[in-house]
Amino acid sequence: MTPHIRIDGLTVAYDKPLAGGAFIAVANLSLDVPRGTFVTIVGPSGCGKSSVLLAIAGLTKPASGRVLVNDAPVVGPGRDRAMVFQEFALMPWRTVVENVRFGLELQRWSGEDLTARALRYVRLVGLQGFDQYRPHQLSGGMRQRVGIARALAVDPEILLLDEPFGALDAQTRESMGDELLKIWEQDKKTALFVTHSIDEAIFLGDIVVIMSKGPGRILETIPIDLPRPRPIDLMDTPTFVEYRRRIRHHLTSETPARA
Amino acid sequence: MISTVAVALFLASWEIAPRLRLVDPFFTSRPSQVLSAGVDIVRGGTLWHDAAVSLSEFAAGFALALAAGVPIGLMLGTFPTLRYLVDPPLMALYATPQLALLPIIVLWLGIGMGSKIAVVFIGSVIPIVVNSMAGVRQVERPLVLAARSFCATRRDVFIKVILPASLPAVMIGVRLGLSRAVLGVVVAEMYVSQEGVGNQIMRLGSAFRVDHLLVYVLLVSAFGLGLTTAARKLEERVAR
Amino acid sequence: MRPLKPVLLGVVSFAVILFSWEAAVRLGWLNPFFTSQPTAIAAALAREAGSGELARSAAVSLREFIAGFGAAIIVGLTLGVLAGWYRSVEYALDPFIWFVYSAPLIAFYPLFVLWLGLGTHTVIAISFLLSVTPITVNTATGIRTLSPTLLLAARSFGARPRDVLWKVALPASVPMVVAGLRLGVGRALTGVVVAELFVPSGGLGSSIAYNGGLLRTTDMLASLMVIVVLGVVCTQGLSAIESRFDSWRTGPGL
Repeated sequence: MTPHIRIDGLTVAYDKPLAGGAFIAVANLSLDVPRGTFVTIVGPSGCGKSSVLLAIAGLTKPASGRVLVNDAPVVGPGRDRAMVFQEFALMPWRTVVENVRFGLELQRWSGEDLTARALRYVRLVGLQGFDQYRPHQLSGGMRQRVGIARALAVDPEILLLDEPFGALDAQTRESMGDELLKIWEQDKKTALFVTHSIDEAIFLGDIVVIMSKGPGRILETIPIDLPRPRPIDLMDTPTFVEYRRRIRHHLTSETPARA
Repeated sequence: MISTVAVALFLASWEIAPRLRLVDPFFTSRPSQVLSAGVDIVRGGTLWHDAAVSLSEFAAGFALALAAGVPIGLMLGTFPTLRYLVDPPLMALYATPQLALLPIIVLWLGIGMGSKIAVVFIGSVIPIVVNSMAGVRQVERPLVLAARSFCATRRDVFIKVILPASLPAVMIGVRLGLSRAVLGVVVAEMYVSQEGVGNQIMRLGSAFRVDHLLVYVLLVSAFGLGLTTAARKLEERVAR
Repeated sequence: MRPLKPVLLGVVSFAVILFSWEAAVRLGWLNPFFTSQPTAIAAALAREAGSGELARSAAVSLREFIAGFGAAIIVGLTLGVLAGWYRSVEYALDPFIWFVYSAPLIAFYPLFVLWLGLGTHTVIAISFLLSVTPITVNTATGIRTLSPTLLLAARSFGARPRDVLWKVALPASVPMVVAGLRLGVGRALTGVVVAELFVPSGGLGSSIAYNGGLLRTTDMLASLMVIVVLGVVCTQGLSAIESRFDSWRTGPGL
């Protein structure tokens, strides 16, 4: 069974315009993602987690290695992948429903009323009644729901979430994570979720990928054997705590990257 | 409250001081005189003609500045190489007092309406270009990235993201351009012209008719203020 | 090499402009009566510099500029601090500042000539009025928008109002004040040059107007070049100073 996503020896580098030379975000990373799995990627700041997502999304070109989706190499953005951003990236001049339509417009969807479709997704993320609001009138959690709705509206095969709850406070994060899972359960799309938070990674994921400090490599891949659907109080169970211990151990015991 | 009191006090002292011979009314006039001069001017015929001339010079020059300035500014913001080439002369021009170019423009275009339109154009096109350019450059990267993640073409990105996102900055440029345009037309007419509000101001000045002069000056200020206030309101509606 | 790119292209830009200008005149495409040419302007500048003519007019303009801008700094800072500190002062000054800022002050030129005569004093007055407003407004804003957190911190250490003013408000407002100075410099220079177009005070603007009247394009452009250079130097200089104080910036969210 070919994996939905295959990452093969991925290296992502960025130019350092002032210092000269390149900054290597991801070094020779390989990962297979089976269809329908919710993969969470956890690691310290600067370990290149976002770069992995950007490479899969087709928004950065790898320095070497390749990314395959359905066995076809990724050359750029596509309808099969959609991204949710940490900074929300909503167009401030568009209303909620117009923002959710955004992807549909860009991908030139036809054959159905875009606004009607967008409204369905607005309702899906629980923002019914807010469709005419502008982003600045919404809370952080609500804005991110718009971001999620926008990504889901284009019916991608793969959902890429780059620390989507990073800008939110702790309590909102928890409830958003819970809601995200409920939404995900309906379709069980392949999802990659980048986060700082170990708890979030365990709670949401089928598989937790632990990345090292930059240049990023995979330290460990831990399958999470917890039943779905997952209630919030799962976080207090011994199994959960044990996963947390293991992951934290991997993250803190890593030898410092050589300068 | 306090502001109105302050202004009232000012007007009162302006009215009373000449009457008490504290200052020579020849030099300062009085609000009451200015008022009656105002009535004269409005009733008389010349104001409308002069205003029409000045307004058309202003409108023509500013319209040209908008039509040329916004697209040029947007392009400069989008293409770095173009910007590096054009930026230095542009900034040199921005740092120069626009009206210092007045004599050379008059040399080229004569004393008629053409030179005034040119002054208005040059004065207002520069802030429009500079601010439009800045507007494009400050579009937040995540917005562009998000659009690209949904398969946006370069054209899509420009029309659906960059254009709307830089609108507030363009509006700032328009507002700045407006005040420079008003200043430009009046001062250009004061420098050399055959008609127009500025021309009238110079005539009244040389004839020492302070009260009439003040009316015209106040009219120009009110006009400029009205425009910039309207522009600010528009700016607020566009910004979020 | 990459950070050099903008600088290189900038130099190329000026070089291309000067080169094509000179070439166009020599090839007969541009009439030198209207546009002069870079070599002629350079020669005129050299001549004027040598004869001291340039130095004289530049000195006049500079003196007027320093007087006008200097007065604007003193008055502007004082009024700005008062307006920023005392709400009532701000309200009282507001309409007048508003007016002076938005009225085309040059239009008052005949009045100034009436009051101050046809000479340097008028130029200085106009320059002063033009530049005092951004300085006042920015200073007042800088003081008024003092971060409440800084204020709280100062008071928690027992600071009295005077301490808060001198030790917190004034230093914290420096970035805004410097921004106001940058805006003021441009306007002061504009005021001097434009006023000189009308008032024969012997400065650079006056010489432009004088040469303009005699249709002496080259001399006109020579003086103009000096003004452009002055303008750029002042603006860039103050921008640089402003950047150095960027790290002092505090905001309401601090």
